[in-house]
Amino acid sequence: MHCTGAFLLRSALIPSIPRTTTATTASLPAAFLLPAFTTTTPQPTARATFSTTPSAHARKDGNRNRGVSALRHTGIGKKQKLSVSLKDLPRPVLDPQRRSKVQVDDDHGLWDFLPTARTALRTPDELHAHGRGWTVPELRHKDWDDLHRLWWVCIKERNRLATQWYEHDRIGGMDGGAGMYGEHEGAARDKEVRKTMKGVRHCLTERWYAWENARVAGMEDGEVDLYAEVERGEAAYLPRGEESVEPVSLGSEDDARTDPSRTLPPPNSASAASEARV
Amino acid sequence: MAVHAPFKVGMKEIYLPDFKLAFIRTIHLPANYASFIVPLWFSKLDLRDYLYHGYNLRIGPVIRSYVQQSRIRQGQVPSPTRPQYKRWHRPRSTKRMTVELERPFAWPERPDDLTAWNKEETKMANEEQGPLGKRLGPEGDQQGISNDRRTSMREQAKALLEGREKWKPGVSRGLGTSG
Repeated sequence: MHCTGAFLLRSALIPSIPRTTTATTASLPAAFLLPAFTTTTPQPTARATFSTTPSAHARKDGNRNRGVSALRHTGIGKKQKLSVSLKDLPRPVLDPQRRSKVQVDDDHGLWDFLPTARTALRTPDELHAHGRGWTVPELRHKDWDDLHRLWWVCIKERNRLATQWYEHDRIGGMDGGAGMYGEHEGAARDKEVRKTMKGVRHCLTERWYAWENARVAGMEDGEVDLYAEVERGEAAYLPRGEESVEPVSLGSEDDARTDPSRTLPPPNSASAASEARV
Repeated sequence: MAVHAPFKVGMKEIYLPDFKLAFIRTIHLPANYASFIVPLWFSKLDLRDYLYHGYNLRIGPVIRSYVQQSRIRQGQVPSPTRPQYKRWHRPRSTKRMTVELERPFAWPERPDDLTAWNKEETKMANEEQGPLGKRLGPEGDQQGISNDRRTSMREQAKALLEGREKWKPGVSRGLGTSG
């Protein structure tokens, strides 16, 4: 017990009755003796117990996580109770053979990177089974949508071949040169795909130049109005009918010579007779 | 398309892309991760957009990307027939990106039997032609001669000296019995 202010206050306000060690609490001194025992000055009594030793009745620490640290690797504290017990912890399956197989969806997007047969690697025979690339005259018939689709088919095939190339290296290895067959066939296939892509680009470029030339010609032509909105009924072609249009003869100077209806001019008999040849 | 992309699509439309992506098998990663080798100028946003619009593949929010620098080497690319020294250069680096998949994907098993790719024969051919190439190469003089060849040469010399065989020109250096 330590000295508290309350005790001092109490001792000051209430006249304290001096008690000796042998005095019993049951009997109080006689009332006529009270004035002799009263002390007027408040004195801090030394009778209160004062000790720095922590007693057993210290305030209980409610912190269950006291001393538990993940950073310091202290582990689980004595008072800590987890919802899972350590013996029930799931253990990882280390052996790959015992692991359950992953179910892959049929419509997974990544199947497009692998061969159509859904194997890991295409054989050289499978790689060789391709035709020639599209030629430019064949592609000229196709519209933009078809060409765009063909381009993306080529792109995906190139991605497939690139995937094959890396997988081929991993499986066969370099082995100081050619590790196994398939590289040459893959390169030949890629070449045909690139030819097709080049043809598609060529066709589109041709079309663009034709369009551009037509556009420039339309801008320069006075009779054509490129900004006319045909849906609203505005005319795009406005021929100039005010000026007299001269009939333009589309013939050439050769026509006089080759025209069968024309006859030869009559000979000049006077000059012919005079120039007698000897 | 009525379905919108699950991310904000960029303004630049590319109709005719001209690059290739390689899908790499990663055995050290779980089945819901996929790794690609992409062009060096590719960004994570590009990859996300490409996989969604090209392959209808939805991926997780985080893409990991790293550039693998190649070691310095000699020679010319593409490699010519003769080895070329002193042409030191560092080939182009490789960029790899790893994405998290919404649906897992496991690669098909690698083929056990590699006869379709002629691996056995190629290996035998390389093993046989390896010493030959070294003998014909610039360090051919430093290659040792095997005891079989020594015995064979001794016997041929003996036959020539004893008159059993006549010398014929035209046999090129390095060919003949292995040694």
